[in-house]
Amino acid sequence: MLEIKDLRAGFEGTEIVKGISLSVKKGEVHAIMGPNGSGKSTLAKILAGHPSYEVMSGQVTLDGKNLLEMEPEKRALEGVFMGFQYPVEIPGVNNAEFLRMAYNAKRIHEGQEELDPLDFDELLTEKMKILGMEQKYKDRSLNDGFSGGEKKKNEILQMAILEPKLGVLDETDSGLDIDALRVVANGVNKLRNENNALILITHYQRLLEYIQPDFVHVLSKGKIIKSGEKGLALELEAQGYDWLTATH
Amino acid sequence: MTTTAAESTDQAESALLDQHKQFLSETKPAGALLSLNEAAIQRFEVLKFPYRKHEMYTFVNTKDIAAAPYVFSYGASVSEDFVRKHVYADCEKSVLILVDGVYRENLSDISNASIRLLPIAEALSQPDIKSYLASTIANENDVFACINSAFLNHGLMIDVPEKAQSDSPLQILHVSTGSPAGKVTTLPRVLVRLGRMAELKLIVKYAGVQGNYFVNSVLDVLAGEDAGVQFTQIQQDDRNAWHCSKTRIALSRNSRFYASNASYGSKLTRHHYEAHLKETGAELRLNGVSVLTGAEQVHNFVRIHHEAPHCVSNQQFKNIVNDHSRSSIDGTVIVNQGAQLTVSDQLINNLMLSDNAHADNKPNLMIFADDVKCTHGATIGQINEDQLFYLKTRGLSTKVAKELLTKSFAESIIQTIAFPAVVEDLENTLLKKLEA
Repeated sequence: MLEIKDLRAGFEGTEIVKGISLSVKKGEVHAIMGPNGSGKSTLAKILAGHPSYEVMSGQVTLDGKNLLEMEPEKRALEGVFMGFQYPVEIPGVNNAEFLRMAYNAKRIHEGQEELDPLDFDELLTEKMKILGMEQKYKDRSLNDGFSGGEKKKNEILQMAILEPKLGVLDETDSGLDIDALRVVANGVNKLRNENNALILITHYQRLLEYIQPDFVHVLSKGKIIKSGEKGLALELEAQGYDWLTATH
Repeated sequence: MTTTAAESTDQAESALLDQHKQFLSETKPAGALLSLNEAAIQRFEVLKFPYRKHEMYTFVNTKDIAAAPYVFSYGASVSEDFVRKHVYADCEKSVLILVDGVYRENLSDISNASIRLLPIAEALSQPDIKSYLASTIANENDVFACINSAFLNHGLMIDVPEKAQSDSPLQILHVSTGSPAGKVTTLPRVLVRLGRMAELKLIVKYAGVQGNYFVNSVLDVLAGEDAGVQFTQIQQDDRNAWHCSKTRIALSRNSRFYASNASYGSKLTRHHYEAHLKETGAELRLNGVSVLTGAEQVHNFVRIHHEAPHCVSNQQFKNIVNDHSRSSIDGTVIVNQGAQLTVSDQLINNLMLSDNAHADNKPNLMIFADDVKCTHGATIGQINEDQLFYLKTRGLSTKVAKELLTKSFAESIIQTIAFPAVVEDLENTLLKKLEA
């Protein structure tokens, strides 16, 4: 589904991602771990199409289509979802209305008719239940005044509504207490199926206890220095990153 | 021979004085009204038309409106359809229509309003009204409001009796008929007095049938002890109009005035708010939003006087300026000596959508008491790139995302308006200006 080939990218002329190749197939969950500053979040932003980041070389395709030449909204419509580490607050934009706009943008892109507000409300109510979100968050402004946990839940809610092919979750676990983490992980697990894929970007192994990855990649200084199965995450938890990064 | 700016100002002033003599001989005001007209024209002679660098008009070019003689219009005919279009749901039986500043009883309906109406000339027989208006003229510093008083004739007083309440809001609709040719001037004047513990929901709307008019309006609100006003002013004049409105608010002990105003802009629109929190416990909220495109202008000039302890004032203004439009806010909060435990906040936010748009801001505090909590601030910015990116990653196009963000900027003020019909109207018209 997603093919990254020798991707080099950075910010204001500085190369941060220094040649990453990664292949993600349908139904797979990949965890990307690594110390702070290793380029994890940069990779996520490149995949989502953040305008401040530039691609220096390499290729990224989604089902054979060149992702790098698409605008962020096109990527979203093609099925890439980015769960932000720090979701922005947008006062004045109603959460439920925004979700409906996003949902309908996708439906129109797929040649379907828009869903009217009442039908959408039903869908939203159901998805919010999965995440244990109180209904009051429908009427609030988008992320405005939400706690850290509520913001992350709201990201997963958006993913649940938009049903992307590929979800890229950037440190969705950071700032969550253990109860919120369980709810979020549980929500993510319910969204998994054989046709979609997930990239989990995380600093800690904790999230991976709840969302079992198929593959774990360790990123350091902009490169994948080790890949393995989920056992690798446990090794990292026990020994830290030093035993790996020291040799690279 | 060319005339200098000073000479042409002098000419305009003497033309206005001549015009005033003519006005007195034609309308023959008597008693208290005559004294008021005369006191105001004398005050005008002191104030004079604003010169270019006048402190009160730093950001406003008054060249087009400081130009007597004025051609006054007192109400051409207006179609009932036009009037109905601008009357809000819930207000059909609680609406006062003033056409070019003149009250039209046949178009109005106040069967649902708990108010008493009387012409200002009659209201002036009440000693407290007479002395209040006399004092406003003695202290008047706004030359256009002063002209309104000098030529005051058709004013209206709304009396809200003690403890009166009404479920439906009262709407005052100011219709300007405009002119197909030269500019006409109108002088709407309304005074609202609330008795002790009275409550009033008040919507004031300005609308124009066609352009080429200068509406020079004054509204006084006197709130008695424990009285409360929910207020919304909607300036929706013709694009080709000039608008000056002065709103003067006097608040007694524990009274409240909550205002959320919206402006569509015009060739020149200037709102002057002068509020006096005269007695302890008074509370003022003043919110404003303007959405400007083309060459439209809206200027707000605010003076809030904290004259007693334990009063609260809160202001929030938001302006969206596109194309080569202009906005300004010149706002000062004055905390008098002895007005201890004042709480006052002022925040001005501007959203610039074009490199050619212009926003001036002058938040100001003058504090003469030592135990107060006051804040003020102003921001000027463009569309937030992080917010834009976030929305785009959810599949919204740049155009839709930008519209959503600009609307949300204005929405936070619009949502403070207490009248759903007004909110809906603004969302369907004011915010539509943001759609390219």
